[in-house]
Amino acid sequence: MGVTCVCQVPVVEGKSVQQTVEQLHKRLEQLGAVKQGSFFVDCETYHATTNTGAQPSKLLYVMHNSETPLSCLVLFDGGPTLAADANFDVLMVKLKSHFQNAKGHKVESRGARYRYADFLIKVGTVTMSSSARGISVEVEYSACVVPGDCWNLMKEFMQSFLGPSVPDLPSVFSSKAEGLFAPADCMDTMNQYLELFSKIRKQQVLPGSGVR
Amino acid sequence: MADVMNVGVNLEAFSQAINAIQALRSSVTRVFDSLKDGMKNKETLEGREKVFITDFQDNLQAVNRDLTELERLSNLVGRPSESHPLHNSGLLSLDPVQDKTPLYSQLLQAYKWSNKLQYHAGLASSLLNQQSLKRSANQIGASAKRRPKVQPSTLVLPIQYVDDVISRIGRMFPDMSIELFRPNGTSAVLLVTLGKVLKAIVVMRSLFIDRTIVRGYHENVYSEDGKLDIWSKSNYQVFQKVTDHATTALLHYQLPQMPDVVVRSFMTWLRSYTKLFQTPCQRCGKFLQDGLPPTWRDFRTLEAFHDTCRQ
Amino acid sequence: MEAPPVTVMPVTGGTINMMEYLLQGSVLDQSLDSLLHRLRGLCDNIEPESFADHELVYLLKGRQGNPFILRARRSLAHPTAPWHLRYLGQPEVGDKSRHALVRNCVDVAASHSLPDFLNEMGFRMDHEFVAKGHIFRKGALKVVVSKLSRALVPGNTDNTEPLSLSYLVELSVLAPAGQDTVSEDMRSFAEQLKPLVHLEKIDPKRLM
Repeated sequence: MGVTCVCQVPVVEGKSVQQTVEQLHKRLEQLGAVKQGSFFVDCETYHATTNTGAQPSKLLYVMHNSETPLSCLVLFDGGPTLAADANFDVLMVKLKSHFQNAKGHKVESRGARYRYADFLIKVGTVTMSSSARGISVEVEYSACVVPGDCWNLMKEFMQSFLGPSVPDLPSVFSSKAEGLFAPADCMDTMNQYLELFSKIRKQQVLPGSGVR
Repeated sequence: MADVMNVGVNLEAFSQAINAIQALRSSVTRVFDSLKDGMKNKETLEGREKVFITDFQDNLQAVNRDLTELERLSNLVGRPSESHPLHNSGLLSLDPVQDKTPLYSQLLQAYKWSNKLQYHAGLASSLLNQQSLKRSANQIGASAKRRPKVQPSTLVLPIQYVDDVISRIGRMFPDMSIELFRPNGTSAVLLVTLGKVLKAIVVMRSLFIDRTIVRGYHENVYSEDGKLDIWSKSNYQVFQKVTDHATTALLHYQLPQMPDVVVRSFMTWLRSYTKLFQTPCQRCGKFLQDGLPPTWRDFRTLEAFHDTCRQ
Repeated sequence: MEAPPVTVMPVTGGTINMMEYLLQGSVLDQSLDSLLHRLRGLCDNIEPESFADHELVYLLKGRQGNPFILRARRSLAHPTAPWHLRYLGQPEVGDKSRHALVRNCVDVAASHSLPDFLNEMGFRMDHEFVAKGHIFRKGALKVVVSKLSRALVPGNTDNTEPLSLSYLVELSVLAPAGQDTVSEDMRSFAEQLKPLVHLEKIDPKRLM
């Protein structure tokens, strides 16, 4: 598990999401990247029904990642995180009187997984309620564990197939640029996906279906 | 040509001299024959004595004449061996039955071979002395006299001394932690952790570095049974490349008389990887080439280059 | 050439609707050795495992109804092992013919951030205790003999006081709902432990 950066790639003007994804695939293949299966990341949103305090309750996110297929990754916005096994999903069913699943808030990103030297690249189509809303690109440099060390190197790599529109150091790292990437689980990655999902969700705000 | 002529002349003188010797021997034989036979039966005692003395004188004169002739010839023969380039062995060439005992041609062949061998050995020794590829002390021609001393002192060092050298090197580089293990007997295995970048396993034989393998900071260095895993290579291409370069460095830094300096130089070189992911190539200015950062470090300047960018 | 696809798990993964069948009893400290001896003879021929666990019981109070209870356990002997989070449902009522207590059960392995996370979810720790003892197995049957102690200082597992002069004995099986034959097996096993220990179907609600 190395340093990972997740970013949103804008859809090329005049093209569909699918066409833009294919263009990215082509560029990666030209670079010499090799396709290695597929991936998915999904996220369910829950909110507490028992709102005891005065402040609005925080949202609870239960995520899954195909890199860790037997785990549930559970997060609060900016709060503590938990890595649990797949039975956590069952527990959430038992907890349904206390935590309600926000229907229609299920987001997922699916796509192809590419390997290039020590890089792992995942180009995914982000879908919400079965409509494609955007494109996510995850780049992992697996040989290094310190985000601050290899950021420039990753940036150079991302520029080679994304063009100049490369993101800044992900905010999950800016607080701990010198520190270690969370080694055992993929929480930092999931945090970035979560950020990206809520960004995409807000872009598409429709009256009546806004984020709580 | 002159030599051949000379030999020819001498050969003639030889045969004449041999004839002269034969003549001398027969005349000497005649002297003793007449002496053995004694006086011949003559009428008078005086006659007998007269004839005997005359014969004896004649015989002695013949001996004298033959001897003078031989001396004359022997001057002509001279001393042929001195003029021959191969000294006495050259005489073998005179053996007439060469077909049966080809000693002379064999001798020449052997001589040629030994000449060639000496020449090539000389070349090789001068080449080897230029290159410092001296992995062990027992092949240095120049310091052959020192060999018995060098070998025991560098290959069999007290454990305490090795520990001292390693811990001193460890103190020199605060960002590098060196753990020392002795899994099998006295040979040390070092686990070098460089910052949060890499881990290197260095297998030592006394103070000589035998083998090294580099892995990522977050990769396993222990095998399942809890021992240091000194065999399996890194999962990452970067560190496989660095392992190759580190092996090259082992061959580069060699100084059999001062093994501690070698270990220190190697560690200094290895330490230059502390910014493996942060330093762009000094030649092309880029971070990546074929998806790999600059993995080569110059042995002298420690500058970072891509494998293909170094000279 | 395409690499094999990553295993796709259903979003609501996990094992659904597992039931715990339970019988409980206790032995006095003095008779512990003879019980352990008996169990060693009856159970699978493997070295009995000892354990020392710290259990925290969390409550989530809703607007109405019973509080939601979760039990978080960590091993004191293996501090790096994951935490064990357990949900136990209400015992199924009725059905006198069944020999064991039956209740819904969800086991989740979780990372060490579990206590913080439960707090964030709104759970509050109600009580905690330390359980030390031995585990035996016979096929699917699990026998746990443990000594319960309470922590004198909250959170400090070194400073504990035994709750009683006896050991808790629990015989349990995890099985999918509807497999009532297991309770027969449990009953016959419990018979074999008599008179060392009497394992019974105890309704926790009766004790509250």
